[in-house]
Order: sequence, then structure tokens, then C-alpha cells
Amino acid sequence: MAEAAATAGAGGSGTRSGSKQSTNPADNYHLARRRTLQVVVSSLLTEAGFESAEKASVETLTEMLQSYISEIGRSAKSYCEHTARTQPTLSDIVVTLVEMGFNVDTLPAYAKRSQRMVITAPPVTNQPVTPKALTAGQNRPHPPHIPSHFPEFPDPHTYIKTPTYREPVSDYQVLREKAASQRRDVERALTRFMAKTGETQSLFKDDVSTFPLIAARPFTIPYLTALLPSELEMQQMEETDSSEQDEQTDTENLALHISMEDSGAEKENTSVLQQNPSLSGSRNGEENIIDNPYLRPVKKPKIRRKKSLS
Amino acid sequence: MPLTGVEPARMNRKKGDKGFESPRPYKLTHQVVCINNINFQRKSVVGFVELTVFPTVANLNRIKLNSKQCRIYRVRINDLEAAFIYNDPTLEVCHSESKQRNLNYFSNAYAAAVSAVDPDAGNGELCIKVPSELWKHVDELKVLKIHINFSLDQPKGGLHFVVPSVEGSMAERGAHVFSCGYQNSTRFWFPCVDSYSELCTWKLEFTVDAAMVAVSNGDLVETVYTHDMRKKTFHYMLTIPTAASNISLAIGPFEILVDPYMHEVTHFCLPQLLPLLKHTTSYLHEVFEFYEEILTCRYPYSCFKTVFIDEAYVEVAAYASMSIFSTNLLHSAMIIDETPLTRRCLAQSLAQQFFGCFISRMSWSDEWVLKGISGYIYGLWMKKTFGVNEYRHWIKEELDRIVAYELKTGGVLLHPIFGGGKEKDNPASHLHFSIKHPHTLSWEYYTMFQCKAHLVMRLIENRISMEFMLQVFNKLLSLASTASSQKFQSHMWSQMLVSTSGFLKSISNVSGKDIQPLIKQWVDQSGVVKFYGSFAFNRKRNVLELEIKQDYTSPGTQKYVGPLKVTVQELDGSFNHTLQIEENSLKHDIPCHSKSRRNKKKKIPLMNGEEVDMDLSAMDADSPLLWIRIDPDMSVLRKVEFEQADFMWQYQLRYERDVVAQQESILALEKFPTPASRLALTDILEQEQCFYRVRMSACFCLAKIANSMVSTWTGPPAMKSLFTRMFCCKSCPNIVKTNNFMSFQSYFLQKTMPVAMALLRDVHNLCPKEVLTFILDLIKYNDNRKNKFSDNYYRAEMIDALANSVTPAVSVNNEVRTLDNLNPDVRLILEEITRFLNMEKLLPSYRHTITVSCLRAIRVLQKNGHVPSDPALFKSYAEYGHFVDIRIAALEAVVDYTKVDRSYEELQWLLNMIQDDPVPYVRHKILNMLTKNPPFTKNMESPLCNEALVDQLWKLMNSGTSHDWRLRCGAVDLYFTLFGLSRPSCLPLPELGLVLNLKEKKAVLNPTIIPEAVAVNQEAANNPSSHPQLVGFQNPFSSSQDEEEIDMDTVHDSQAFISHHLNMLERPSTPGLSKYRPASSRSALIPQHSTGCDSTPTTKPQWSLELARKGTGKEQSPLEMGMHPVASAPLSVFTKESTASKHSDHHHHHHHEHKKKKKKHKHKHKHKHKHDSKEKDKEPFTFSSPASGRSIRSPSLSD
Repeated sequence: MAEAAATAGAGGSGTRSGSKQSTNPADNYHLARRRTLQVVVSSLLTEAGFESAEKASVETLTEMLQSYISEIGRSAKSYCEHTARTQPTLSDIVVTLVEMGFNVDTLPAYAKRSQRMVITAPPVTNQPVTPKALTAGQNRPHPPHIPSHFPEFPDPHTYIKTPTYREPVSDYQVLREKAASQRRDVERALTRFMAKTGETQSLFKDDVSTFPLIAARPFTIPYLTALLPSELEMQQMEETDSSEQDEQTDTENLALHISMEDSGAEKENTSVLQQNPSLSGSRNGEENIIDNPYLRPVKKPKIRRKKSLS
Repeated sequence: MPLTGVEPARMNRKKGDKGFESPRPYKLTHQVVCINNINFQRKSVVGFVELTVFPTVANLNRIKLNSKQCRIYRVRINDLEAAFIYNDPTLEVCHSESKQRNLNYFSNAYAAAVSAVDPDAGNGELCIKVPSELWKHVDELKVLKIHINFSLDQPKGGLHFVVPSVEGSMAERGAHVFSCGYQNSTRFWFPCVDSYSELCTWKLEFTVDAAMVAVSNGDLVETVYTHDMRKKTFHYMLTIPTAASNISLAIGPFEILVDPYMHEVTHFCLPQLLPLLKHTTSYLHEVFEFYEEILTCRYPYSCFKTVFIDEAYVEVAAYASMSIFSTNLLHSAMIIDETPLTRRCLAQSLAQQFFGCFISRMSWSDEWVLKGISGYIYGLWMKKTFGVNEYRHWIKEELDRIVAYELKTGGVLLHPIFGGGKEKDNPASHLHFSIKHPHTLSWEYYTMFQCKAHLVMRLIENRISMEFMLQVFNKLLSLASTASSQKFQSHMWSQMLVSTSGFLKSISNVSGKDIQPLIKQWVDQSGVVKFYGSFAFNRKRNVLELEIKQDYTSPGTQKYVGPLKVTVQELDGSFNHTLQIEENSLKHDIPCHSKSRRNKKKKIPLMNGEEVDMDLSAMDADSPLLWIRIDPDMSVLRKVEFEQADFMWQYQLRYERDVVAQQESILALEKFPTPASRLALTDILEQEQCFYRVRMSACFCLAKIANSMVSTWTGPPAMKSLFTRMFCCKSCPNIVKTNNFMSFQSYFLQKTMPVAMALLRDVHNLCPKEVLTFILDLIKYNDNRKNKFSDNYYRAEMIDALANSVTPAVSVNNEVRTLDNLNPDVRLILEEITRFLNMEKLLPSYRHTITVSCLRAIRVLQKNGHVPSDPALFKSYAEYGHFVDIRIAALEAVVDYTKVDRSYEELQWLLNMIQDDPVPYVRHKILNMLTKNPPFTKNMESPLCNEALVDQLWKLMNSGTSHDWRLRCGAVDLYFTLFGLSRPSCLPLPELGLVLNLKEKKAVLNPTIIPEAVAVNQEAANNPSSHPQLVGFQNPFSSSQDEEEIDMDTVHDSQAFISHHLNMLERPSTPGLSKYRPASSRSALIPQHSTGCDSTPTTKPQWSLELARKGTGKEQSPLEMGMHPVASAPLSVFTKESTASKHSDHHHHHHHEHKKKKKKHKHKHKHKHKHDSKEKDKEPFTFSSPASGRSIRSPSLSD
């Protein structure tokens, strides 16, 4: 019975792991447990004096045994959880057995019966332990201000950097050479790709691949692409001229501010416009003076019976 | 009696001495233009105008206005319906069935047609009859208000719609519309008096979509929503009297920027371009300040607006208080090259605001004053902004341009005077167009005209000093502003018009100097002066013997008599001498100052007081002369070819401080390929203080010299080591430094040097391998990451350099160009071009400069036989939708292909584009490029030259381009280049056969002589006041002139044509009209017509029938079409008779032809003339011209 109880725990966890039935080790485990139970049933039958048994009946008995043990495990778990614990104790098992109508007192005697057959423990296949991740150096211990129950530090290699130095290329010529050829390669590859994926034109009738020209495509608004600087250039501009053009950008920003406010104001009605000077006035008094007819609000039509001109 | 009103005024107009006399029998004081609907989808405009007019003669019963393209629905005068006739002879200059194909004929006819509607001659396309109810009112010279409802549908000129085809509302799509045109073109978009001399105040109203802005002239008074709040109306008032031709309009979803320095100045640009606008216009206030300061006069208008639009007609167009610019002038702070160009455009437009918009001109012949003054003050601005060097360089450039043009075409006349109107007196008989009107002028001529005008202003300045000059301008401006403030005294407004005589009078008043000889030489006379100079030094007398010859016999030249400045640089200093150029004196002795010839270790004083050390070893030991300059101040419009020794040119280049002198010496040194020249040029190149443009041209000269000295050249290719030293890294000389364009001078030099180097050739006439590798390395190592400026222009020039290095392929018997036999160098070049061109698709450069250069380079490769010649690529880039610079570059390649490969197909493709392209500038440019690089010329045999092409081009200039003066004149230029003045040689010649053919056609339709008689008879019957003696009267013009001249057959035609048109338009419109018209049908339109018109005595009734027909034709309403059979029925009776008489007449001539060769022309001419007049007679029956088509509709629509 001790084995039965022992296997009950294993069975409980076994069903759980078996229920996953997703991994191969679990399947193996399931089969092994089943075989162990069969051995148990067979030995009990031998003990009871049977010479032989049909496979089907052994199977049935095995099934019954498994159910029983599973039930013990399940109930025991329920009891233990009922008392807000995570691990079942002996008393949980006892209560379970009692609840299932088993006379617990008979158990020690049964366990010590003379004719009992001892079955060897099933060969424990080495749990396929996940190999420990590469450890590089010692895990750092927690510093004093971190309570010890906190998780350990991860392996040092995940956060420790080891700077390596190679002699930098200081030769200007090589650098320029490299930059140039790199850029050229990128451009070439990019344009070739674009040419391959889109329509092309060719200078030679017989050959379209050596000098593929991306086909000319008209724009709907051609002046925009032609006049506006590309984002790349804009970015470049910001990088290069931040120091020199400070003054200028300041005034420009001011102008921008004016015009933005103005164009905004144009759409708003009068009341908003009246607020505006107070807002901007703090920044620059001059703005108040701007009286440009294009910034004035649009008038509402006068209610007239007849339009005089139009 | 309208004639009496018109004619005297026209006579007096020329002499503007005592104020301005209007050619019109009325004075316009105010005009309202109201456009209440603009449809971008349909490209249509609906609106009305109202002109307030004061009659100046008592019996005014016709009012002529200008209007083209507009559909006129209704005309009311003081609320009374008024009849009107719309007739525009410029729509179809020569009748479509005319077989005439010679340009002389066309040009004369075109000039006649233009003057027939010229507002400065009191004419107009639209003739409105004053309702008889108002006659009394008119006799009291009381005000008339002419109200005209009109619409415009898909205008082809005058207003240009840009509607990008993308999703979204019109505002989101960036759709816009703007007015455009060449000279006075306002008549294309609303009826007006389209003259620069008729000033009035304006009220302008435009109702547009709420998301759009309408920008127009004058002050924006208010903006009001319409009742549905979906549109707004912009109300503008222009209180300064302004000519209609200076009225403009731009409507679009513009972004608005108030100038941060001048709040009354507002800038507008298309969506998304605001940052560029901000940068571009940030400079404008300085231009304002400059002009206001030098003119000591405030900017005349109370506000100023700049609008930047797409698909611009011209880069800069100045109108009253606003200027319209091409959006392509906008640029960011990273762009170097465009910045000075854009600033120049801004300054130019502002100068024209003062002279051109505010001050207008009296007549076309006074145009030079305005163009001259605005160009001159623009030059002053240049001098202040870009420095004296740039200014002098510009003057030299302009001088060279005008000299080259005049010598090529035979003269530009600034102040044409047309006495008597006889073609014999035509001052510009050497040209293939008339210079009587701005609208008949070739565009190139007009640009040269402007160029000459400002140069002449500069000559006047030289004569009277700048101070006086500015005083004169100030005087003109203050007179004008006084006049402009006289709100209700419209007679004062003529003070705002400038005339040649008024201007000259101001000059003599202010300066007290007589500049008449100068004016006579340069303004009243065309041509430039051509000097040839050489010298000898007489050692004994210590005298410089200078010989100056003139060529005044070649076309475009004139004789110069007067002072001429000569500067002689001697060892002891620089001395100015003023020579008197006289009729017969060629030689001039100039005493030299330097006695001590070779004073060792002495510094040599220069003109500017500087003293320099010179290495004098090169010079002639006997002569103290270093160099000599003729007319150093460019105070004569001239070309100088001066001979002096090479070392003198070299000294001049090194030590003369004037950039013009340096430029001249560089040009001269090309002829002296010696090591000394090489050294002088290299020194200049290296000299930082030297003007960058001089250094740039030294590059090209050096390349030429190197090529001439190729066998003796030592050392690396020219400029290579120089470039390496200046722009490459110290440590690795084959790698260029990372770009830093902070110093613009060296930037320009860096850009130019490789382009010049690529022109180097070795002994095999190939570009040296070393140079090509060098350029390829420049491209490879180009690194712009650290640069504050964009390198797009630099990279573009590198591609130009690659193109320059290409030499003709060695080809074996026209083998087909394939990849396999591609030259390895060319392969490298092609690789670069491919990569650049493809990168442009991903990262486009500013204004696509790189694409432009790539396209040019590809054409060069094609032309040199490395790549198969094929226009397909260019054609795809020439499509609408590409940036305009790309299109022009691609079209240029196609034009070149057309010439080289003589492709009829491409020529047709180009011609179609001229007709159909949506962008007027592109159409103009194609014509221009075809003229510059013609597929064939008049003296050439070409398979392209055939009758169909002649017809096609003829049609293009005759009727296909009537909506754009500039385009039509461009077509005329092309026709002239291809076929010359006379009949194209490819046409079947026999003129007599032609006459017969014509006759057969004509005879059926329309006999000439007898119906006239009938008509007159009829008229006489109807109208007792007409003279019976006129029956059978012959055309006095043709008969009398046949007597006088016999050689020029075309002139007669044109004479007849002109007189015909003039008569037609000056006459009271339709004396015979009532005859053919049922009295009931049109009484509303032409109320009481017969009484008003027929009582007018007709001076030349032989025209009356034509007029009658014309009248009916033009005004034909569907109702009346049925009337024609009735009208023509009696004519047919005479048809046979006339045919017969013609026939015999003709035979007669035929006989005589053999005997009297002399008389041949005359007779032939007579013939032709008759046929022409018949043609004209026929005209009303054909309804082929769009004018008649349109006006047929207009009256019926108004019902």
C-alpha cells in the first residue's frame, strides 16, 4: 500500500503531465507509469493466488487502480487547498481515504503482511534536465538592500559588457575610400533593386539589364519634389547649421509663428482673433501692429434682399 | 462721325510734346471687373465688367473695346441694350483657303490685323453701338456706363488654369489660375481697353471657393462670405489710375505670408512651399529700401503682393501692386546657385513696379523708356548687391549679346517712328516681322530690345551723370504720383504716362545737357558699331599711332562719329585719351608719356592708383606700352577687335584691374597658345582676389590653349595640379576634400574646373585617360555630409564634365551600336549616368538638375555614336507631368535628334506638342529650340521640307496660335528659319496655275467687280446720301501703287489687306447690314440701326459690300442663315460674266509675259490682288474663323 500511495502522488502528477500529451517525454512517462501499475496489479493477483490472467482483465484492473489512486490524489489536493496549503500532508491523505470509505487502521497491517511481493522500483530514466544555460562567471549575490527572496541576478553574460578594441582605421584615405565605395554599393544595389522591381527603360535595344534606367514617371504635382528639400537633406541641414544659423532661425521661427497664427486666425471668427494679441503679445509686442488685409477675418454676408453687384 | 474723332487723334499721337492725346474718342475713368464664378473643373469663368466712360467728341456712336476669347452675352449702356459686333482679324490672319505661303505676305497681313484691333490706334475687336436714345446724352459729353456680361470657356491664353489630376477638392489638389501673357494681353480674359495708355481706377471682385485666395491689384478692401458660406468674395480697390494691361489675377489655395519686415507686403505660394517662400522672400525688403532710396520716392502703391505659381508663362511678370513669379524660383537656404537668380528676379519685378506698372507708356514706341529705366535701376541694384565687378561683367555680357544679335539680324530699333504708314518707310525692313506692334515682335527681338534699352540708359547716365539721371526719374515719379492722387481729374492722369519726348525733355531740363546726338544714334537708329583697331609705336616721335577702322556696311552696323576713349597703360602709368572719331580720320597719334623706357626697380602705377611690380622681361624693349584699351567704359554700343601683341594681352590679364579688360584679354589669348599665356592664365586661376567669373572663363581658355599646344605640353593635364592643390586632401591628393561650399567663389571654381578639364584632348583628339579617371574619382569621393549647402549643382556639373569628355566613337561602317562594342571609358561614364539618373528617382535633387544633366549627357553619347540614337527615352521625359526643366532638356534632345536624324516622325511629334501641350512656356520653348537648332534651313535640301509641313506651319501661325502672341511670333520665327521670307522652295511653283485654280474656286462663289456695283447701286437706292459716282470705283490703293512699284509683289497684297482692314474697322460698322436683315429679327440687338449708320457719309463705298457681308457674317444668327440664298441669288447672275472677263484678262497677260518681262510682276500682282480681294469677299460666307463662329452664338445667347 505504501507503493500505492507513493504511486498515487506520481499518478496525480502523471495525469497532469499526461494531459498535456504534447511532448514526447510525457508520453514516455505515461507509458512507464502504466507499466508499473500493471506490474502492481499482476503481483497483487499473484499474491491472491492467480496463476494467470487475461490481458483484458489486467487492463481493467489497472484502469480501476489508476482511477482509485487518481481520486485519492485529487481529493487530497482538494483538502490541502481547502486549508490554504499547497502541499498535501499525511492527514489530508488520511481524511481522503476515510472519506472514500477505506479503513485506515488496516493499512499498516496490510503493509506489513508477510506474503507481500516486493516489486522493484521502475527504472528511473534520468529526467531530461534542461542543460544549464551557459554560465559565465559567478552570479552576483544580492546587494544588501535587495531582499533575498527576490530572484537572483541573471547570468553575468547577459549584462556585463566586455569592450574589445581593434586598432581603428586612422588612415584618411582608406576611410574615404571605404565610405565612398560603401555608399556607391548601397546606391547601386538600391537602384538595381528598384529597376528590377519596376518598369525600366534602356539605352540599348538588345540589352535591358546592364544599364537599367528606372522608367520616368510623371508626377501630378511635379514642382513639389523638385523644390522641396528631401528629408535627408533637411536632417543634414539641422545637423550642420545649428550653430551658425541660430540667430536666423530665431527670427524665422518668429515669422513662422506669426504666419501660423495668422493663417489659423483667418479661419477662426473674430472672438478668437481678439484673444490672439494677448497671447502673442507677451512674446512680441510688434505683432499687434500687423494689419494685413489677408489676415482679417472674412465677413459674414449682410442680409440683404437683393445683392447689389453680383 | 466716328472717323473724325479717331483720325486726328491718331495723327497727333506721335508728338507727345504737349501732353497726351488719346486715340480714342472717349476717356475711361473707372472700370469694375467682377468675376463671380470660376470653375476649375471646366476651366471656365463667368463675370461682367462695367466701364465708366466719358465721351470726348459729341457724336460718338461707336465704342471700340478689346476682347478676345471671351463670349459676350450682353452689352448694356446706361441700362439700355446695345448692339455689338465682335470681329477679330488676328484669329485667322490670312484666309485659310489662300494659297499664299510666303512669309512676307503673312507678316504684313499679321501686322495689319494687329493694328486693326490695336487700342493705341483707337481700334478694338468689340465694337459697341451707342443706342440712339443716348445720343443726346453723348452730345452733352455725359457719362456712359458700359456693362458687359461675358464668360470664358477653357481659355487658351490670358488666363492659365493649373489643375493637377489628383484626388480631393480643388484646394487640396493645389489647383490655381492666374493671368498671363506677353505685353498687353488683358483682353484675353475680360473686355477692356487693352492699352497701356488708357488709365482708370479699378474695382475688382472675385468670388472664389472658401478655401482659395484671390490675389489681385490694389487694396483688398474686404472679404465676404457668400450666403451659403461656401465661397468668399474678395473686393479689391485700385485707386491709382492703372492701365488694363497691368491688371492681373491669381487664384489658388495659397499659403499666406506677411512679410516680417514690411507688413503691407504679402507673399503667396502654393501649399507646402511656405518654408521656401519664407526663405526666398526674406531678402525682398532690402530691394525695397534700395529703390526707395535711390529714387527718393516711396513705393507708389499702398501694398505689394508676390504670388508664386506653377506653369508660369514667364519667370517674372509685374503688374500694378503685384508680381507673379514662377514657383520654381523658390528655394531653400541650402541652394547656392538659385539664390542670386531669384533675387535678381525679385529686384527686376520691383523695378518694373515703378516704371512699367505705376508709370505707364504713351505708345509702343515709348516702351524703351520704361524698359530702359527699369533695367537701369535694376542694374544699379545689381551693382550695390553683387558688387561693381558683377555689374560690369553683366554690362559686358549684355553688350556682347546685343552686339551679336544686331550683327546677326540687322539691328534693334528702340524708338520706331512710323511716318505716313507706307511700307517703304518701314524702319525694320531687314526683319521678317513688323516692329510696329509689340504683338508682332519676335520674342528674341523683344528680349534684345529690353537689353539695348537699359544699355542706352546707361549711356545716357554716362553723359549726364547718375545724379541727374536719378533726378529725372524722381521727377517722373513725383509728377505721376501727384497726378495719381487727383482722383476726379482724369485728364491729369496722362502725367502718369511716359513718352520719349517727355523723357528727353526732363533730361534736358534737369541736366541742361543736350543728349540729342546720343538719342539719334542709339534710339532713333538701329545698329551697333564695329571697330577694328591696331597700332604701331613710333619710337622716334615717342608716339603711339593708333588706327581705328569701322565697318558700317554690314547689316546691323552703323557709323559712329564722336568721342572715343582710349586708355593706354605705359610704364609710367595709365593715361586716358579721348579721340574724335570722324568721317575720314583713321589714324590717331597719341603721344606717350614714358620717356625713360626701362626704369629699373620702379613700380608701375595702374589706373586705380595702385602701384605694382611687374616682370617686364616679356615686353618689347623699345616700347613703353604695356597695353591699350579702346572704349574701356563701354560708352558706345560696340564690338571692338583690337590687335596687340600676346604679351600685352598677358599684362592686361594680370595687371588690369577691370574685369571687362580681363575678360577681353582671356578671349584674345585663345589665339596665342604659348607657355606665357598658359602661365598668365594659371596665375589668374590661382589668384584669390581675382573675380570668380574671370577665373571661370580662364579655365575654358586654358583648356583651349592646352589643346592647341598638345604636342608641346609638359606636365600633368592643365588645371589638374591646380585643382588638386585647391580642393583635394593634403595627405591623399587623389581624393577631393569633403564638400564645404562656404566660400562661393571657390565653389564656383570647383564646379567649373572639371568641366573645362574634360574639354582637354590628347594628340589622338581623345580626352586623356588621366582626366577621365580624375573626374570619375571626383564623383566617387564626393561627400556632402558635412556641407551646409546642397551639392546638386556641383554633381550636375560633374556629369556635364563627363559629357564633355566624350569624343566621337570610332565606328566601322555604320555598325550597329551594341553593348559589346562599347568603349570601356564610355562604359564607366554610362555607369555613373545610370546610377545618378536612378538615384534621382529615389532622392530627387533641387530642380532635378542632375536629371537634366544626365539627359544631356545621354544625348551627347548618342550623338557621338556610342549609344544607339533613339528619342524614346527623351520623349518619355518630355511628357507633361515632369518638372519643367527636365521637360525642356528632354525636348532639346528630341529637337537635336530631329535635326541629326532628319526624322519626320519626331518633328511631327514636336509640332503636335506645340499645339497641344498644356504649358504655354513649354510650347514657346519648343518653337524657340526648333528655331535655334532647326532641322533644316532655307538654303538646305532636306527630305523633311515638304508641302505638308509648310501647310502645317502656316496653319499654326495663321490660326493655330491666335491665343498667344508670343507663340505666334515664335511660329513666325521658325517659319522664317525653315523657309525664309519668300515662298518655300519645296512648294510647286507655277503661280499662274495657282491663279487659275483659285479662280475656278472663286468664280462660283464670288465675283469681284460687278456685285460691288450692284451693291453700291442697291445702297444708292436705299440710301440717297451715298454718292452715285462711286459705282464701279476701283480700289485706289492697288491701282495707284501698281504704278509706283513693280518689284515687290507681296507688298501690294498686304497694302490692300491693311487698307481693307483699317477701313473695315474704322468705318461705321455696317451700312449695308440692314439690307439683308428682316427688320423684325434683330431690332432688339441693333435698335434703329439704319437711321444711325446709313446717314453717315461713306467715303470709300467700294468696301461697303464687303463690310456688309462681313457684318452679316460675323453677326449671323441662326435665323439669318436662311437669308443667304436670297442675298447671293443676284450675285450668281454676274458670276459667269466676271469669270469670262477674268479669263480673257488673264490670257492677255499671258501673252505679254514673254514680251515684257519687266511688267510681269506688275500684272501678276494685279491679278493676285484681285484674287485676294475676292477671297476677302468670300470670307463672310465661309464661317470658318472661330471669331465668326463665336459671335454667331453670342447675340442669340443674349436673347
